Amino acid sequence: MSETELDADVTVDSRGATCPGPLMDLIGHVRTADAGTVFELLTTDSASKHDVPEWVEKAGHETLGVVDHDDEGYWSIFVRTAR
Amino acid sequence: MPGYAIVLASGQLERLQAVSNIASIAAASDIPVEVFATMDGLEAFDKDRIAAMDFEMGPVGEAMLSNEDMDMALFVDNLARASELGPISLYACELSMDALQKGLDEYADVFDDVLGVSGFLTHAADKQVIFV
Repeated sequence: MSETELDADVTVDSRGATCPGPLMDLIGHVRTADAGTVFELLTTDSASKHDVPEWVEKAGHETLGVVDHDDEGYWSIFVRTAR
Repeated sequence: MPGYAIVLASGQLERLQAVSNIASIAAASDIPVEVFATMDGLEAFDKDRIAAMDFEMGPVGEAMLSNEDMDMALFVDNLARASELGPISLYACELSMDALQKGLDEYADVFDDVLGVSGFLTHAADKQVIFV
């Protein structure tokens, strides 16, 4: 998915952090966000690609997409809060 | 979901990290977690030991600490952060402290209270017990 198709309201830069850091960074922000907020989580932790969408689904939010920035060694995970 | 009661008896860094990772995400997901640090698991929270990074570890622990591209949060910091995000409680084992004649103030400031076996069993009564 192209990153130009997705616009984030809030960027959470967790590059360099290892599991479960990126997910905890995201959760901390999501908890205080208004419904409908779009987050872009930047992560170099490969487990996040699966862990974050897993948590997002369980928590009732929506994963909009996962963008692989292969040339720069990180992923962008776009999440929209449902509540 | 009733949650988890984790008996943390190991002082091995890999196990400490694994417990803190699982407990942190569970709590951040609103799953209740109670961690009972006992034996070597409690000693890992000693302030001097943390300052010196003096932990028993295997190849994974060594790799996590030496990899410059990995910014690994230490187990004690993960657990402290989890306390801000969700329902997690940490307890120090009274027997272990008595054996070493130590007070709670000699350990990292993450513990909610000191418990004995009976106290832990009360807290664990409705939870899935995990022994590490």
